[in-house]
Amino acid sequence: MLSNPLALIAEITHRCPLHCVYCSNPIELASAKAELPTNDWLRVFSEAAKLRVLHVHLTGGEPLARADLHDLIAGAHHAGLYTNLITSGIGLSRERLKELVDIGLDHIQLSFQDSGEAQANWIAGTKSHARKIELAGWIKEQRIAFTANLVVHRQNLDHLEEMISFLEGLRPNRIEIAHTQYYGWALKNRAVLMPTRAQVDDAVKIVASAAERLKGKIRIDSVVADYYARYPKPCMGGWGRQLMLIDPAGRALPCHAAGVIPELTFDNVREHSLEWIWQESCAFQKFRGESWMPEPCRSCDRRAEDFGGCRCQALLLTGDASATDPACSLAPSHLVIDLALLEVPIEASPPQGELIYRANPK
Amino acid sequence: MAGLLDLSKPRLAPGCRWGGPEAAPVVLFPEGAIRVQGTGQRILELCDGERTFAELVAELQQEYSEADPAVIRADACRFLEQLHDKRIVDF
Repeated sequence: MLSNPLALIAEITHRCPLHCVYCSNPIELASAKAELPTNDWLRVFSEAAKLRVLHVHLTGGEPLARADLHDLIAGAHHAGLYTNLITSGIGLSRERLKELVDIGLDHIQLSFQDSGEAQANWIAGTKSHARKIELAGWIKEQRIAFTANLVVHRQNLDHLEEMISFLEGLRPNRIEIAHTQYYGWALKNRAVLMPTRAQVDDAVKIVASAAERLKGKIRIDSVVADYYARYPKPCMGGWGRQLMLIDPAGRALPCHAAGVIPELTFDNVREHSLEWIWQESCAFQKFRGESWMPEPCRSCDRRAEDFGGCRCQALLLTGDASATDPACSLAPSHLVIDLALLEVPIEASPPQGELIYRANPK
Repeated sequence: MAGLLDLSKPRLAPGCRWGGPEAAPVVLFPEGAIRVQGTGQRILELCDGERTFAELVAELQQEYSEADPAVIRADACRFLEQLHDKRIVDF
C-alpha cells in the first residue's frame, strides 16, 4: 500500500543573492514571473496537511526573496505543518526574524560556506559571511530550533575541525556537515570541489569524534561523499516514498534534480491536488518501488535500504535514469566514478582550478 | 552536561512541539517526528518546564499506583535522558 509523504519541500523561488559554486538548484532556473502566487501555496500547504505531511521545508533560491514569506509561514503553521526555513540569512533583519517566529516558524537552517570570511565569500561569490554570523546571534534570542549547515569539499575539508569549532561557537541545536552532491550546478565545478580520499577518510573520523564530544548538546548529522562510498545513498529515502518537492513554478517533483530526466513530465499544483499527484502522477510512479530496477539492484539484498541510489546521478553520469547509481561499487557503470576520481589531485592544497559561479534567474 | 536531577525542570527543547492528529499525537522536531503513546505521552505532557523531575515522578506514581514506584522513577529517568540525547527534551 502506498504510504503518505512525510515532508514537503517548498522551493518557493529560485532568486538568490548568493552565487554558490555547488548550488543544488537545477541548471534551468524558474524566473520570478513564473513563480506560484501566495494563494496557490496556501492551498498546497493545506492539502499537504490533509495528506498527513508533517514538515514543510521552505527553501529556494533564497526564500527571503519572496515578499509574502510571512504569509506563507503563517499559512503553513495554520495548516498544522512544522515549518523549517532553509536560508542564507541575507535579507533577514532582527525584527523580521522575530515576526516570523511569532507567527509560527519552528526551525531555521542557516548555511555557512566556511569558518573564515574570505574563504566563505569566495565560495558564495558574494560578501555574506559576516551577516550570517550576526544573524546566528539573533536566532539564539528566539526559542526556535537552529541548525547550522556547512557544505564541504576539497577546498575547505583540510580545516574541518576549525569549521566545526566555529559552528559550535554559534550555539546551534544541530550541525549538518554535508559533502557536496554532484548534480545541478555543482557538477560544473566537480573538478575543483571533489575531495581527495584522504580528506574523506579524515572527515569521517573528525565528524564521529565531534558527535561523541557534543552528545546531548549539539546533534551532528552528515551527508556522505557518495563517490567514495561502497554503496549509493538512499536518495530522497526512495523515489516517491517520503518526500514531495514543489518547484517555484508549481511543478511537483520527486526530488530536487528530477527535472534533468528527459522522459519525465511533471504535473503542476495549479492543475492537480497534491493527493492526486502523489498517487497518480507518472513522474512519481516511474521509479517508485522495485519493478523498475535493473540488475544488480533487482536481486540485491540492499535494495530496500538504498533503493538503487540516485536516479538523477544515474542519468547525468550514464545517460540512463533507470541504471543502477554508478556510485554503487556493484554498478556496471561504476568505472565513470573511478575515472572522475582519477582527476582528483593527490594533495588538496594549494587550491587549483577556476570556480564557475552561479548566476541569478533571468 | 549534568544528568537529570530531582530539581531539573524538563521541557520540550526549542523547535520541538506537539503535532499530528489528536488521536495519534506526535512530537515534531527539526528533521523528524516521534510517536509517543501511553506512559511516554503522559511523561512528556508533564514536561512543562515548571514541574521538577521529582514532582513529575510523584504524579506518575500516583497515576500508576499499581506499579512499583522505583521502577516508574527509573523508567521516566531513562526515557527523558534518551530524549535529551536526541535533543528533544531540555532540563
